[in-house]
Amino acid sequence: MLVLLKKEKKKMLIEYCVERFSISKEIFENYQLYEGSKNKIYLIKELLELRFIPESSGLCIFRFDKTPKPTTNFLQLFSANISKNILDIGEKDLINYCKGKDLQVHSSSNKIEPGFIAIRYNDSIVGCAHWNKITVRNQLPKSRRCKINYC
Amino acid sequence: MNKQKQITLQTRIAKRYTRIVDNKDEFSRSINQPLKQSFRINSLKGDTEKILESLRKYDNSISSTDWYRNGFTTKLDNLGSSIEHFSGQIYIQELTSMMPALSIADVNESKRIIDCCAAPGSKTTQLAEMMKNKGEIIANDNKHSRLKALRGNLDRLGIVNTTVTLRDFRSFPNTKADIYLVDAPCSSEGTIRKKNTIKRNLKEKDYERFSKIQKGILNRACEMAEKGDQIIYSTCTFAPEENEHVVNSMLEEHSVKLKNINIKNLKMGKGIKHWKDEKFDSEIEKCRRVWPHHNDTDGFFIARIEKC
Repeated sequence: MLVLLKKEKKKMLIEYCVERFSISKEIFENYQLYEGSKNKIYLIKELLELRFIPESSGLCIFRFDKTPKPTTNFLQLFSANISKNILDIGEKDLINYCKGKDLQVHSSSNKIEPGFIAIRYNDSIVGCAHWNKITVRNQLPKSRRCKINYC
Repeated sequence: MNKQKQITLQTRIAKRYTRIVDNKDEFSRSINQPLKQSFRINSLKGDTEKILESLRKYDNSISSTDWYRNGFTTKLDNLGSSIEHFSGQIYIQELTSMMPALSIADVNESKRIIDCCAAPGSKTTQLAEMMKNKGEIIANDNKHSRLKALRGNLDRLGIVNTTVTLRDFRSFPNTKADIYLVDAPCSSEGTIRKKNTIKRNLKEKDYERFSKIQKGILNRACEMAEKGDQIIYSTCTFAPEENEHVVNSMLEEHSVKLKNINIKNLKMGKGIKHWKDEKFDSEIEKCRRVWPHHNDTDGFFIARIEKC
């Protein structure tokens, strides 16, 4: 059952997007944000009133535990709007990332702040990871992990 | 043994439809040819030209179709392991499966569409893209096991305008929509060019079984629709029992009419006027049959129905 996201949480989430990824808050203007089970936040065009409970609505974009955690789906969809805390990777790292492996980073790591980051390959955001100044922890859900043969 | 079974199946299909196909030799030849892999570009995840440019770096066999700007074929048989597929920029989809969405006259951002048998989401995601992720789509399926694939595809392609429901559409509660898409479960004969899609010899009673299910689903869509609403009915089979016969029974039982279908540059045949002992309404000719030899695709059937 989805409930409209409380104003304080919505404000916090949008501020997080602006500060963390420089995502313009305007992208949320035409959508509604709802909270479902397990603190999952859904981006919905419009919540339909049906005569029975649907299985799902919209796209899960965040999980709101202690801090907001963006989903890979969210970062991919708004790829063009993200301009901060991005880690660019090459082909070898992409293959490992898509398999669900953590990444070893080198000099570019000083451009990113600890916390959730967007992984970018060839100008497109491919997913989410977590940077703790030592390792880039893979945040790709198991269901999305795969072997990449062409890139 | 397997090869022998395949030959038998194709021969049986060629023989069964020899009277209704426009060129039996071409038809027979084409159903014995393997089908190229095809895919659709999802412009919600990037600029079409840029995605194509990226794909062509490792695949120079990509060809565009004449009839759909986002539909392409390739000789590469595993695009599913490409980065473009991973990031939802492409969706692997049969060309014929792209046709029902294109046959709707006016898909736009203000519409509400119910995809009655939606999983795994090929047509739902195509419609969502055509609606620019706006409007409203209800993607329904009656099998819980198939919803996982549907949900996965909606997520991968970044679809936000869709609500997923789990119901047998024959008992779906009254729900207002502008367009009802009934891509019904069928005997799938039209997919004969793909490997392992038809596993057994279909018997006459199988056509009847599918026909009964199809009538039930289409009947519910016709009941729910209001004046002016569109109902798109499609199958991937050649069998008139599952195509013209089903649509004809709706013409008899409901206040509905058939509308013409035109997809520019796509060659399509007319619906047939009789099959075995059954004669159909002359309007049935407005239905469209896509024969494999016409456009080098699978076989397909589409009808566009309007509620009066």
